[in-house]
Amino acid sequence: MAQLVLDVAGISKRYGDVEVLRDVSFQVGKGETVCVLGPSGSGKSTLLRCINWLERPDAGQIYLNGAQVGITGGGLVMGDRDLSRIRTRIGMVFQHFALWPHLTVLQNLMEAPVQVQKRDKAEVRDEALALLAKVGLSEKRDSFPAKLSGGQKQRVGIARALAMRPDLLLFDEPTSALDPELVGEVLVVMRDLARDGMTMVIVTHEMGFAREAATRVLFLDHGRAVETGSPERFFSNPETERARQFLQRYAGDAAGGRR
Amino acid sequence: MIHDFGIVWSERALLLSGFANTAILSALSAVVALLLGCILTPALMSKHQAVSGAARVFVDGMRCVPFLLLAYIVYYGLPSLGIRFDNWTSGLAALIIYNAAYMAEILRGAWVVQPREPIEAGVAFGFSEIKLFRRIILPPLLLSAGPVLGNQMIQIVKDSAFLTIIAIPELTHAASSIQSRHYVPFAAFITAVFLYWGLCLVIEAGVSSVGRVAEARR
Amino acid sequence: MSGGDIAAIFQGAIVTVTLSLIGILIGLPIGLGLALLRWANVPVLARIVALYVSVSRATPLVTLLLLLFFALPNIGVPVSPTSAAVLALVMNTSAFNCEVWRSALANFPKDQYEAAQSVGMRAGLRFRRIVLPQIVRVSLPGLVNEMSMLIKATPALAVVGVVDITRAAVRIGAQTYKPLPPFLVAIALYVPIVFVLVSLQRWIERRQLAAKVAA
Repeated sequence: MAQLVLDVAGISKRYGDVEVLRDVSFQVGKGETVCVLGPSGSGKSTLLRCINWLERPDAGQIYLNGAQVGITGGGLVMGDRDLSRIRTRIGMVFQHFALWPHLTVLQNLMEAPVQVQKRDKAEVRDEALALLAKVGLSEKRDSFPAKLSGGQKQRVGIARALAMRPDLLLFDEPTSALDPELVGEVLVVMRDLARDGMTMVIVTHEMGFAREAATRVLFLDHGRAVETGSPERFFSNPETERARQFLQRYAGDAAGGRR
Repeated sequence: MIHDFGIVWSERALLLSGFANTAILSALSAVVALLLGCILTPALMSKHQAVSGAARVFVDGMRCVPFLLLAYIVYYGLPSLGIRFDNWTSGLAALIIYNAAYMAEILRGAWVVQPREPIEAGVAFGFSEIKLFRRIILPPLLLSAGPVLGNQMIQIVKDSAFLTIIAIPELTHAASSIQSRHYVPFAAFITAVFLYWGLCLVIEAGVSSVGRVAEARR
Repeated sequence: MSGGDIAAIFQGAIVTVTLSLIGILIGLPIGLGLALLRWANVPVLARIVALYVSVSRATPLVTLLLLLFFALPNIGVPVSPTSAAVLALVMNTSAFNCEVWRSALANFPKDQYEAAQSVGMRAGLRFRRIVLPQIVRVSLPGLVNEMSMLIKATPALAVVGVVDITRAAVRIGAQTYKPLPPFLVAIALYVPIVFVLVSLQRWIERRQLAAKVAA
């Protein structure tokens, strides 16, 4: 494996009586695209949200480029300051976009680099414009999010995350809130990022995308990492019965004309 | 301090009669204002420009005038036109006229966001205009506007305190009397404040039970 | 009614507007502060704020003002009618503003906040750059409504001797034995002031609705 970017070691999380994640471990190397698959309720989103500590794991460790996330060197839970510093290195793309409605598209991209990273405004602006060109939304730079389609919003969401020059990008079901005809334009952008060697962890139900763009697949079921491996092997010859059932259901859906 | 509250306690009859007057004034004017509001609302929504325009001027006018000024006009102003009421009648009339406008506006606000279909179904079933309003439009309005109507009732209770200025012996007036007689301002007025609070809590509890009914019928 | 009388009512209008403005300007941030205490669920303080708001919303301004004006000197705090008036207005309006701010905060979308966290914004920055601009927009109609409510409650200030529009009109009515003309002048002063606020509120609501429909 290439240089290790993310190391998730034995993460567990419970809400009351429900165990959402049970001892999940996996690693992501630089330039990898890992797709996290699994039935709904299997804990995929929670796993993703634990990586940048939007949810606090009950047990286990997370390391980004060798530095532990959420716990200080002294073994204490990180405060707002330390956590925020680490989060600048981890970009996140949200299911419902979460664009800031009071800022224009360009301002959405520039907000954090200028306010958090304190980078030079002119330089950030140039970079943001280049990112907008990359996701094909140059002409929308002065629009407000409310004026965009879902697909456009999500492309802005991706560009906003990229504007921070993160080491790792997390996607939380980036296409599941979109109308079917808008899914493609977002997947194109994500595929390009994978090709360019961006390190990504993607929670998704888009099996076609996972098969084609992922370097590795992680299959979650009832909060456990049941299976991990190359997409070729996972999709053609899954090791576990659970994964087989899961894939069959998707194949059935696809045959039935549904996504 | 405890001694002060002892004095207030010894004047409890006065305070309670003030409280009762506040409660009666508020309840009576709330009921009548709501009834008048129910009549005023269809006027606001009327297709006849003259009717809706006149209703609009009245409602907006009341919404732009402080209650106390209206009470003064009824009590001190009208006699110069030869119309003379005692302070009770003036106060009650002012509370009713003023709040009828607010009630009407609240019901209108609830009306415009009502789904159209049940109303159209009523038309299709041949209800006359008055019957349509009374039996089809109004009941869901009252339920959905419940919380806002409740707020307005609290506003009526608070407006009624202004009537101390035209010497109606309501709660604030009673507290003022106790304070001037014994010089126990804190004990007298804080007791009044808590009695007002209690009255509003009762209104809020009433509103939330109406809310439960509304929820069950959604 | 002489020209001097009308001038006196205008004087009263200046008092009404000035005191209202002071009350609004101080009451807005205090209301926000109280709402934040409740939102952050600060132990004990959040409870106290909830109680304070509940009682204040039920307390008539007249009663509150009488309480402050007579009871404060009793515990050794001398107050002029004007300072008692400002204090009462601020206490009254901050409780209402608190409720407006609080409901905006309570309905603030969680993922907006998380998006700010995910790019490494710290608490202060998140609030200032992401939360505040959005809740101001949501709260605006409610806050403007509260401003017009405040102005309509200001005649209460007369009970401690502040000479506002209403008090000036009453005084002239008593002197001339013709109370109706000064009251009509008073109405002519209140209506435009409050109407501007009511129209502003409607305009904001319509604009926000249009923006929502367009989206």
